[in-house]
Amino acid sequence: MPYQTAVTVRAALPPDRVAEVRELLGEAGRKGTAGELFPFAEVPGIHFARVVLVPEGPGGAAAGMPPSVVYMGEVDGPVEAHLADLVRTAGDGLDRVFGHCAGYPAGGSPAAARIDWLRSHCLPCAAYYVNTVGRGRQQIEQEALLREAIEEFLDRNGADLAATSPAEIRAAVQEYVRGRADLAWACTGSAPPPLGWRIRQVAHLAGVPLAGLVLLPFGVIALPVWAVLLRRHERRDVPDRARPGHDRIRELAGCEDFVAQNPFTAVGSVKAGPFRRITLTTVLFVVDYGVRHVFNRGNLAGVKTIHFARWLFVDGKQRVIFASNYDGSLESYMDDFIDKVAWGLNAVFSNGQGYPRVRWLVLDGARDEQAFKNYLRCHQVPTQVWYSAYDTSTTRNLDTNARIRAGLFGRLGPAETEAWLALF
Amino acid sequence: MTTPLELDDIQGLVTRGYRTLTSACFLVLAATGPAVAARTALGRLVPRVTNGLAEPSDTAVDVALTSDGLRRLGLETYGLDGFPYEFVSGMTDPDRSRFLGDVGENAPRHWQWGGPAGPPVHVLVMLYARDGQRLQQLETEARQDVLAGGAFTETVRLGTTELSGREPFGFRDGISQPLVEGLSKAGAGGDQVVRAGEFVLGYPNEYGLLTDRPLLPPRYDPVGVLPRAPEGGADFGRNGSYLVFRQLRQDVEAFREYLDVQTRRPDGSSDPAAQEALAARMVGRWPGGAPLVRAPRYDDPALATDNDFGYFTTDPDGLRCPLGAHIRRANPRDSLDPRPGSADSVAVGRRHRLLRRGRPYGPDATGDGPGARGLHFVGLNANISRQFEFIQHTWLDNPNFNGLHDGPDPLVAPRLDHRATFTEQGRPVRTRRLGLPQFVTVQGGAYFFLPGLRALHYLCTAAPAGGQP
Repeated sequence: MPYQTAVTVRAALPPDRVAEVRELLGEAGRKGTAGELFPFAEVPGIHFARVVLVPEGPGGAAAGMPPSVVYMGEVDGPVEAHLADLVRTAGDGLDRVFGHCAGYPAGGSPAAARIDWLRSHCLPCAAYYVNTVGRGRQQIEQEALLREAIEEFLDRNGADLAATSPAEIRAAVQEYVRGRADLAWACTGSAPPPLGWRIRQVAHLAGVPLAGLVLLPFGVIALPVWAVLLRRHERRDVPDRARPGHDRIRELAGCEDFVAQNPFTAVGSVKAGPFRRITLTTVLFVVDYGVRHVFNRGNLAGVKTIHFARWLFVDGKQRVIFASNYDGSLESYMDDFIDKVAWGLNAVFSNGQGYPRVRWLVLDGARDEQAFKNYLRCHQVPTQVWYSAYDTSTTRNLDTNARIRAGLFGRLGPAETEAWLALF
Repeated sequence: MTTPLELDDIQGLVTRGYRTLTSACFLVLAATGPAVAARTALGRLVPRVTNGLAEPSDTAVDVALTSDGLRRLGLETYGLDGFPYEFVSGMTDPDRSRFLGDVGENAPRHWQWGGPAGPPVHVLVMLYARDGQRLQQLETEARQDVLAGGAFTETVRLGTTELSGREPFGFRDGISQPLVEGLSKAGAGGDQVVRAGEFVLGYPNEYGLLTDRPLLPPRYDPVGVLPRAPEGGADFGRNGSYLVFRQLRQDVEAFREYLDVQTRRPDGSSDPAAQEALAARMVGRWPGGAPLVRAPRYDDPALATDNDFGYFTTDPDGLRCPLGAHIRRANPRDSLDPRPGSADSVAVGRRHRLLRRGRPYGPDATGDGPGARGLHFVGLNANISRQFEFIQHTWLDNPNFNGLHDGPDPLVAPRLDHRATFTEQGRPVRTRRLGLPQFVTVQGGAYFFLPGLRALHYLCTAAPAGGQP
C-alpha cells in the first residue's frame, strides 16, 4: 500500500517560446490522440497527470514572475522513482516541452542527466490533499475488477440467490472469489504503507502541536495584533469585478467535461506586502496539517468529490498555483465550494489579489456566488494535457469498491452483511 | 424580505403554464431582412404578448429570442456581454453539446431544427388557446403580424397535442413544480418555496443576490423605456427569464417493447402488471402519478399529485424508489450532501430548480416523422449553467449519480459510450438491467431569452438601430 506523492516540475519558459509550447501542448492534449507525446498510461503508479502552461505574472520575468511550463503528477511512491519512470516512458514529450527551458540536457544526454534536471526543478507543495491516503493505483484497479466480477456473479445467480439469506449469498460470493486465481489478492487485506513513511506521519501529527505549544505564548500576543491588521487589510482590499471574457471561457471549457472527472488549474498573485504572505503561509500550513491528519478519508471539510488537490507557492511566494482533480463539472465543483466549504476557500484565496470581499478571513467571500465564479474562471489556466488513470470512477465509486473488498472476508454481523450486500 | 413581482412586466408563461389553454403551437422564426424590418414586424406582435397578471381566458402569446435573434434585432454591440456564456454561445456549441450529452444520435447535426445544417433560429413565438379553433385564428393573426413584409421566415411550426396531463410514455407529468416566491401558490411558505430570482432576473436569488444580466449604458435608453438597475444602467434583463427549449422524441414503442421483454413470464407470455411496475421504478412514480416512496407496491389514485415527500427518512437505500429513478435525479429533494435529510440539503436543491412549461406533441404534429411522439420541453430559469445544465449533466445524464456505476437516467438520458445499467436496489440483493436502450432523442432546441414586456418593447421600438446611440 503505497503513499501518494505530488510531483511538481516547473521551469521558466523564455517568453518567445510561449506560443510554440502552447501549440505543442494543445496538440498533445487533443482528445483521441491517445497520449502519443505523453503516454502517461504506461507510467506505473500514476493516478493523474497534467502539463500546463502558466502565464507570466504582472510584470513578467523582470518582476520574477516569468511564464513557465509545469508538469504535475499524483503518483504512488517516491519522487525519484517516478521521475525515472517518466523519463523512460515519456522522454520524448519531456524533451519537446522542457527542451525550451534553460539548462535542459541536450539531445543524446543520458537519462540520469534528465532526471537530475527534473529533480532540480521540483517544487514542494505548501499543502496537498489526497482523497484517501494510501489507496494506490493498483489497489484501485484491482478493487474495480473485484466489484465487477462479483456484480457479474450476482447477475448470473441472482434468481437462485434471491431465496437464500444474506449470509449464504455472501458465502457464495466468497467461494466464487476464492475460486478465481486472478482475484487471489482479494483474500487478504491491503498492506500498510512503508514503515518509514508511517513514522514520518506520526512524527508530523505529534510534532506540529508540540511546536505549537511552545509557540503558544507568542501566538497569544500576536493574535490580537494580527486580527487588527487583518481587518485593516480587508477594508483596503479591492475586489476585482471583472467577468471572464467569452473567448476565455471557451478556451477553458474546451478542456473540460470529457470523462467523469475534471482537472482544475489556477494561478493567482498573492496580495502585496509581508502581512498577506505570512498569513497565507500560515493558513496553508494549517491546511496541510488538516488534510494530512484529519481530512484524509474521503472528505475535505464536507466536499467528497475531490481526488487530489495541491497548493504551491511560486515566484518567491509572489504567486500561488492551485491544482486539483475532481468529479463532475466545474459548475458543480464551484457550487460545492460555495455551499459547503466557503470558509476554507476564503481563508486561502482571500490572500490573493482580486478575490471577492472577505470579513475576518473566513466570512462572505465565496458566498458572493457570481463574483466567486468569475474570480475562479479569470484565474484558471487551461489544462491542455491531462490524464486520469480511472476516468469513469468517482471518489464515491472508489470508496464503494474499497468497502466491498474490505467486507468480503472476515466476520460480519447480520446487519453488516446486509449493508455489505447493499454496496452492489 | 420578499420583493413584489412586477407581474405586468413579466411574460405570462413565467407565472403560469396555461393549463386551461389546452391547444398550443410554437413558431420558430428566422430573421431574413434588415434589423429595422425585423423590429417592426416583431413590434406588431408585441402588443399581443400576455403578461403575468391575470389568467388569460381564451388565448395567450409569449415571445422569446435567441442570442442570434437579439443580435439580428440590433442588440449586438452593447447588450450581449451581459448575457451568460451559455446563452451567447448557444445550445449547439460543441462544448455545450458534449456537456449536455447531445452527441451520437442526439447530436445537433441530426436535429430537425436548430442544428448547424438548418436555418438559424432567432425568435420563438408561443401561441396558446382554449381550443383548436381559437388557436388556428390566433396563429393566422400572429403570422400576419410577424411574417407579412418578409422580415421573418418560419423555420418550423411545432404543434402540440391537446393538453391531457399525461406525457407520451403514459405518465402524469408536471406534478412537481417549484413554488415561486411572490406568486399566489407560494403563499403558504415552507422550504419548497424558491426565491423569485431563480426564475426571473432582477430579484434576489437563493443566495440573496441578483443574477448577472444585461445592463446597458443609460445613453442607449435616453427615453427611459427600461427600468434602471440598482447597480446602475438600463436593465434589459429585469423581469426576463431564460427559456430552454428541447424537442425530445420519445420512442414509445421501444419503451413498451423493452418493458415487455424484460418482464415476460417463464412461459413467454406478457405480464402487463410487471411492465407497469418496471416502468414505475424507472420513473419513480406510477403512471397515475403516485410516488413510489409513498406507494411502493401499487398505484394509488389518492396520491396522484402527491409532492410532499423526501427520500432520506423513508427510502435512503432506494428499496422503494430506485436510487437511479428519473424523479430522484430531476429533483433529489432532501438526499443531497451535506447532511441528507436536513434543511441544508433541501436548500442546496433549491439552487437547481426549473419551472417546467413543456407540452407533449405528436403524432403528426411536426415534421418529426408521421408517428413520432414526444415532449416539447420548456424550462425557465435565471441561470442556465447552475439550473438547467447542472440538472442535465450532474443529475440526469451522470452515470455515477447517487454512487451508481454506469447508471444514467433510465428514461431520458443518452447512452453515449457508457454501458447503461438500471439497478433496482433490493433485499437481499439488487437486480441489474444491463444494456438499457435509449428511449428519448433530442430533435431540436435552443436557448432563448424571454424578455420582460418593457424590454421587448424597447427592443422593437426604442433600441438604437445598429447598436449606435
